[in-house]
Amino acid sequence: MKRLRITSFSIRFPWIVIGLSLAIIVFFGAQFPKVSFDNDPENMLAEDEYIRVFHNKVKAQYNLYDFVIVGIVNDEHEDGIFNVGTLGKIDRLTRELISLRQNADGNPEVIRNGQPYAPVLESGSAWERGLAKVFGNDVNRLFAEDGSSAIIAPEIISPSVVDNIKQADRGQLAIEYLMEDVPTTREEALIIRDDAMNNPLYKGTLVSEDGKAIALYIPIIEKTYSYNVANLIENLTAGWGDSDQVYITGQPVAQDTFGVEMLVQMATSAPLAGLAIFLLLLFFFRRLSLIIAPMLVAIVSVVATMGLLIGLGFDVHIMSSMIAIFLMPISVADSVHILSEFFDSYHKFRNKAETIKHVVGHLFMPMLYTSLTTIAGFASLGTTPIPPVRVFGLHVAFGVGLAWLLTMTFVPAYIMIFVRTKMLDGLKPEETEDHHGLLGRALGGLGRVSYKRWKLILALTMITIVLSIIGISKIKVNDNPVKWFTQNHRIRVADRVLNDHFGGTYTAYLTLKPEQIQALTCAERIDAMRNAAIARFGKTLPEASAIFLQILDETNTKFQSLESADIERCFVDLAETAKGLDEQVFGVWNDLGDEINYLDPEGLTYTKLSAAIANKADEATRKTFAKRMAQFQSLEGEDLQNQALDIVDEYAALSFVDFLYEARADASAPAFKRPEMLAYVDSLQAFLADVPNIGKTSSALDALKKANFELNYAASETDERNDTFYNIPPTPSAVSQVFTQLEGMKKKDSLFHLITKDYNEVNIWIQLKSGDNTDMVAVVEAVENWMAENPAPVELDVGWAGLTYLNVVWQEKMVAGMMNALLSSFVVVLIMMMVLFRSPIFGLLAMIPLTVTITFIYGLIGWVGKDYDMPVAVLSSLTLGLSVDFAIHFLERSRELTKKFGNWKDAIWHMFQEPAMAISRNAIIISIGFTPLLFAPLVPYKTVGFFLATIMAVSWIATLFILAALITGLQKYLFKNKESQEV
Amino acid sequence: MKILVAATALVATVSGVYAQLSVDEIVNKANEAAYYAGKDGRAEVEMKIIDKSGSTRTREFTLLRMNAKGGSQKFYVYFKKPADLYKQVFLVWKEVDEGKDDSRWMWLPALNLKRSIAPGDKRTSFVGSDFVYEDVSGRNLKEDKHELVETTDTQYVIKNTPVDPDSVEFSYYTVRIDKDTFLPRKAEYYDKNGKLYRIVEGTKVETIQGYPTVTESVVKDLNTGGSTLNTFKNIKYDIGLKENIFTERFLRRPPREVTR
Repeated sequence: MKRLRITSFSIRFPWIVIGLSLAIIVFFGAQFPKVSFDNDPENMLAEDEYIRVFHNKVKAQYNLYDFVIVGIVNDEHEDGIFNVGTLGKIDRLTRELISLRQNADGNPEVIRNGQPYAPVLESGSAWERGLAKVFGNDVNRLFAEDGSSAIIAPEIISPSVVDNIKQADRGQLAIEYLMEDVPTTREEALIIRDDAMNNPLYKGTLVSEDGKAIALYIPIIEKTYSYNVANLIENLTAGWGDSDQVYITGQPVAQDTFGVEMLVQMATSAPLAGLAIFLLLLFFFRRLSLIIAPMLVAIVSVVATMGLLIGLGFDVHIMSSMIAIFLMPISVADSVHILSEFFDSYHKFRNKAETIKHVVGHLFMPMLYTSLTTIAGFASLGTTPIPPVRVFGLHVAFGVGLAWLLTMTFVPAYIMIFVRTKMLDGLKPEETEDHHGLLGRALGGLGRVSYKRWKLILALTMITIVLSIIGISKIKVNDNPVKWFTQNHRIRVADRVLNDHFGGTYTAYLTLKPEQIQALTCAERIDAMRNAAIARFGKTLPEASAIFLQILDETNTKFQSLESADIERCFVDLAETAKGLDEQVFGVWNDLGDEINYLDPEGLTYTKLSAAIANKADEATRKTFAKRMAQFQSLEGEDLQNQALDIVDEYAALSFVDFLYEARADASAPAFKRPEMLAYVDSLQAFLADVPNIGKTSSALDALKKANFELNYAASETDERNDTFYNIPPTPSAVSQVFTQLEGMKKKDSLFHLITKDYNEVNIWIQLKSGDNTDMVAVVEAVENWMAENPAPVELDVGWAGLTYLNVVWQEKMVAGMMNALLSSFVVVLIMMMVLFRSPIFGLLAMIPLTVTITFIYGLIGWVGKDYDMPVAVLSSLTLGLSVDFAIHFLERSRELTKKFGNWKDAIWHMFQEPAMAISRNAIIISIGFTPLLFAPLVPYKTVGFFLATIMAVSWIATLFILAALITGLQKYLFKNKESQEV
Repeated sequence: MKILVAATALVATVSGVYAQLSVDEIVNKANEAAYYAGKDGRAEVEMKIIDKSGSTRTREFTLLRMNAKGGSQKFYVYFKKPADLYKQVFLVWKEVDEGKDDSRWMWLPALNLKRSIAPGDKRTSFVGSDFVYEDVSGRNLKEDKHELVETTDTQYVIKNTPVDPDSVEFSYYTVRIDKDTFLPRKAEYYDKNGKLYRIVEGTKVETIQGYPTVTESVVKDLNTGGSTLNTFKNIKYDIGLKENIFTERFLRRPPREVTR
């Protein structure tokens, strides 16, 4: 027989096969040291994916970094966090983090109390240290290659190093850090609280509104440092005591922690699952030497697959870390079938080689097809648009293929060499009576139910399917990397606590820029200026304004005739004219003003002042001035001087030059120096404040309004008057002058995280309380709708970035990608089945159990309310691969036995003996084998563990009951058909 | 003890022979040359703030400086460009006596606003550039301990360590001073981890009215990759400025010396 060729070879030359298998292990095992890990969900998207490119562009444009968020909560002190002790600790921590450096040994060192201090960062547990070593996870890795700190010290957000603008003594304006000096009294601590609460950029971001918590944002050069930075911070805050609780979170920490724990899971869960499978096999087959073979098949497949992945240069990602877990049941399944059969048939032949040939001979086709279908299921993941899922799918497909080959070669070779004939002869009868009998009897009973109550079974199936479909309609597609941790994981706890106190630890950036940069032509500018000039000068200075307008019109015609008029030129020309006009109209007043201005106020009297200006300006002007000054003659010194200047200014203030500059500033103002654009951002933020799940938004506008208020604040004025300045300054120039103050704060350029240096683009920092994709999507939709209803003064380009938004994008791609993969592999498998059974109806039948299983599983997910996330999506492929296996075995044997016994009624009794036995063993082994995953601290592993068990159980029921019941109902068509074919 | 005394004496002798001038003398002369040339002076400054991507913001202002009593000085900074900063003014009274703070005022014409600014940190950015106020007005010599660490054929290299390390962001800085003119040519700032992070350099020097003068200076921030380039034009010394123009009254109505 052709199909037996490789098996026969293995029986004849078992040592060669064993040797080759060893070579595979050695070769692929040798790739392991090259391993590199990648736990960045960002990589769920290809690097050139638009949104990733855009996200990185936004990060670069606004100098945004990934943050480790350190929350410090004090519920005990009456002033919350704002007490002398806690603020002191925060300041010391900040300084220590700023001082992080590499000491002479290359280890991290901070300055503590003026002395170098090298914290011991390695875990106290030898097991964790060992794991870290194996996986190359060095906790002391806190520096870039050039030795600089992973923490971007100048960008740390902490009260000790963030700007504050406030009123100081004697009407002065103070620009200093929020916690310029560590407080020593309660009063000083409370001043810091009030300052923070009065700054819209800090309230809800840096300090919680209840005053009980503070959040430090520690920017890092790369996300991959976040676990180590978090670890460092834990170490540095270890001695803080109970009243100041430290919580560390932020998406990068969550992701990086997940990565580290993923490795732990790889090192524990997968071997534990292997162990469980091993024990179950031992329980069923009782003979160590016999069951070592399937275990070895699993190990070789897993090692070879992982070795291939590493050797090809792929990073081990969250998905690929689960390769072992997926491969193990699949690779064990085939060999269990062989062993099971071998076990049951040996007594017929009493010869290992003959038994093997018999078993392989009649399992060859079903095994080939079960493997091919599994391969098809996983390979279909290669069509998804998500690189790690592609890598995962294709590698598992490879592993399955290898497992099949090993089952055909290695298992026979192993039996030939290592299984002693004596043992087989000796143990056989005893075995049959024991479990075999118990499970066998139970199965026999089930077989009868399937036969007699087939209508009931099918009715129940229909109900299940209907319920499942309803469940599927309830499925919520959602993912949130933080939820990959279990409820009580410290990351989840920190996440809950901090989102409770603050605006939110999930970040999204909404960027706005005008679709086109408005470039007004000379003519347009002059036109705008014309109207403004009439408004300003028309009434007060009719003659001069007529001249000015005439010049404007002349300039206009001059530049209109030129094709490429330099816009700046039109101002230069005008400036000269305006200067002349100023001289002409206000020159005399300015002469007067200047003269007065330069006078020494010391001992100045009106007489002295009059004498000083006696020769200045012209007589008429001096007369007007003297008339206006009449009532102020008694003033002296500076008061007199200021009064005189005020009067002069009334006449001289309307300068054409100033007007021109103003007009020029207005006309060339970038989008976000224009008050109307800023007002739009203001109303957008006001809208965002009410969107559910948005805790807070921050923009350059918050800083602008705060600065404008503080600049204009006057203690002598009323609150109403002062409050009117908590607003956007009225003109582009005024906006610009306030922004310039913000540019020159202590922490340089912090403004430019929220607005570009050319003031043409703004970035609204949105803090979300939840990282669920559904919540992010809701926010995006809300903004879109609002902007559609409230169009901006100029058309805006709206862009989203930030990790929370990035997750949404890959999630959407994944759902669509998985759906396509599932459908395409379903079709491929269906065709395979039709070919295998050479019958469309059998082919369709083979698809029933997996269809029921997938429908049921996803229905269950819908009903339970579990989010359809990445691990869940990938499970569909596994279901497809595993469920169809049972059906293939069942149908193949049913057809065989029906042929043998002439009718289904007799055949079904036998079906529920050996074949059902093999299927059941498989189902039980895999279901129970993966229960260790349920104890993993990471939700995706739990999910996979739970659903693997459920899939097995449901597939098993679907195959044994539904398929048997269906065959019973359809037997006339199925077997009549078949017999006519065969004859 | 004896050995220690002997060693100190030896060092003192060697450095004395080597340098001829004492450190304090060099530092004082450099301070004079850099910040006190003439009785007063005026310059037009073009400031280019360049970020790491190369995009540039340009500011133009006129600078008036006058030496007052006992080493104190007064500065008047009048903005001409960009158009939206037109007529904005900074006024600074620099004090050198211990316990006396500088005074600062600003005038924001578009807000019709005059504000006095509390004497705070002098190491804050000057109008958003990489220069800090102290670069413009000079750092008080008493705030640092000075050491002569090297003398080359043309330059003295002085290491300056702050007396109060917590008051500044650097741990120390070195200044290279030209021997012939005593102009500081290059200052290099090291952060608390000993890493060089900031360089201020006088890149062009001309002699104007007999005073060697830096006419182009650059500051580079190695952390951000940004830099600021100042070009000084129309420099004049001893123009006879009156002290009363450095008063609040001249914020709103700028003196002729800057508008012309």
